[in-house]
Amino acid sequence: MDGAAATEAVARAPTARTSAIERSVFEAFLFAEARLLDERRFRDWMALFADDGTYWVPAVADQASPFNQVSLFYDDRELMKTRVDRLEHPRIHIQTPPSRTAHLVGNVMLDDADDAAGEYAVSSTVIMVEYREDNQRVFAGRQIHKLRRTADGFRIVQKRVNLVNCDSAFDAMAVPI
Amino acid sequence: MHNASVEAIAKLVEPGRIHRRVYADPDVFELEMERIFGRAWLFVGHTSQIPHPGDYFTTELGRQPVVMTRHRDGTVHVLLNRCTHRGAKVVNERCGHAARLTCLYHGWSFDTDGALVGVPIPEGCAADFRKEQFGLARVPRVREYRGFVFASLAATGASFEDHIGPIKSNIDDLVDRAPDGALAFDLGMHRYAFNGNWKLQVENVLDSYHVPFSHASTVNKQGVQFARREGDKAGAKVVEADQSKSDQDKTSQSWKGRRSYIVGNGHGWTSNTALDEGKRSSPTFDEYKRVLTAKVGADRAQHILTPRLHNTLIYPNVSIMGLNIHVRVIKPVAVDRTEITVYPVRLLGAPDAMNFANIRLLNVTHAAASFVQTDDIEAFVRIQKGLQSRATDWVDISRGLGDEEPDRELNATRGSAMHEMAVRAQYKAWLGYMREAA
Repeated sequence: MDGAAATEAVARAPTARTSAIERSVFEAFLFAEARLLDERRFRDWMALFADDGTYWVPAVADQASPFNQVSLFYDDRELMKTRVDRLEHPRIHIQTPPSRTAHLVGNVMLDDADDAAGEYAVSSTVIMVEYREDNQRVFAGRQIHKLRRTADGFRIVQKRVNLVNCDSAFDAMAVPI
Repeated sequence: MHNASVEAIAKLVEPGRIHRRVYADPDVFELEMERIFGRAWLFVGHTSQIPHPGDYFTTELGRQPVVMTRHRDGTVHVLLNRCTHRGAKVVNERCGHAARLTCLYHGWSFDTDGALVGVPIPEGCAADFRKEQFGLARVPRVREYRGFVFASLAATGASFEDHIGPIKSNIDDLVDRAPDGALAFDLGMHRYAFNGNWKLQVENVLDSYHVPFSHASTVNKQGVQFARREGDKAGAKVVEADQSKSDQDKTSQSWKGRRSYIVGNGHGWTSNTALDEGKRSSPTFDEYKRVLTAKVGADRAQHILTPRLHNTLIYPNVSIMGLNIHVRVIKPVAVDRTEITVYPVRLLGAPDAMNFANIRLLNVTHAAASFVQTDDIEAFVRIQKGLQSRATDWVDISRGLGDEEPDRELNATRGSAMHEMAVRAQYKAWLGYMREAA
């Protein structure tokens, strides 16, 4: 690659937007969210979502909409509550014994920022290792958090996780990525 | 087992019990691939997956890769997806469109009806080489009913009409719900897999006995499941809420009243889930009902919308759910590994919102990450583990044995859905295939 081509390639690479808020603040939010999941504090995790918030894991690569194709997860707060109630239910067989997970969140970039409106889109790479009953597996993908700034800190308007193997035949999944 | 005598196979199935080898013996699995998946009428796909000439869809019949195509004359073909030259899988994408199906290795190309049309550098071919003899192998028998494509890998055997029999009307029950009288399989697909035998999934679709126990985590304190259909405020009552009763006693009466039906060849269905039909209403559902009524008339619409079916099994590899509607295809991979594809169906002519609502609810019932299916999968996995035990060689399927009765109105045999009549009917069909050498 010559100098000009290299310059052009760099110019075409995704660039982070700037905001009055430091990137580390967004990172701290994502790290804390991942930790809640790893500690199985699902009710606290749900509380991070806005009342109109959604959690979406598409089942199709580059899925345009959750409404005209199936998804692995597409929960509004009501479905999310049903999911969390079930995760806490003593007779959820697929979590007997429970999964243990470790999330790693990195490559954090601010994709969109509107300081005036307090709305942000943060993308990051997520890797989740899940262990249950002598089986360990890996989920990986890019996640996009649409965040809203409130008096109580950020609320998630949408968390979307684009798994690299979103259209694979999965063994049963119980815990959110 | 490959040269298994009829007697040896027959010994695996008794009137009220099944030998563990039926689920756990790799030799039995090999024989199933030959004698069941190698000859039975299998569901392949839906014509809406290949709407235009040149469209194709790849899948497997048993373990054999096939491609379903739409030829330029509109005909549907099911071809063995294996180059006749050196054996490579020719079509590699799950679905797509092509004027010719071209092998990556040496560029042999085939028409969408399988005919070999191009052999690069033909001067190397043997003097007696005839392209006519090197077309992609066609699955010998293919039949379609209201868009559902079935195929048999055997040139002879029971006709499609004899195989499908009266269970055909269960396909009508689903398709008739579309105001335009047709379905489209174009809403994506859920795929899940498990370390268990394929028949565990087959048996499960007509098993109502497991619901209050396997799916205990899906009900609230009142014993009611979450809503699974647009227009419902809540789901079925799965267990009685009375905490003073024991588990056995508080299982809901509504489940005890359910029935299952069998109609031969392993096919069967369970009656509808008890829901409050009179109260089913929402702007989306009401609009759907209005559109359907406008198309087919009030009486017909009322009939179509009165639930009769919960799950239907068309043995051996496809089921239809009448509650939150979808079609499920069961694919054996190994004796202890199975892959499932769940297609939501789009009711053509129904409001988009009605179809969207169905997809959303299917996500939480039958996705790999759903609330319902995951506990079934856990049961399948634990059965496969448990069957490694030699505590006994037998799995019991005797519930309700001898209690079956004819249902003359439905031209079927009827039993309690809490019994195991449907499983016994599946093994009667299983034995029919398995004891007959090719």
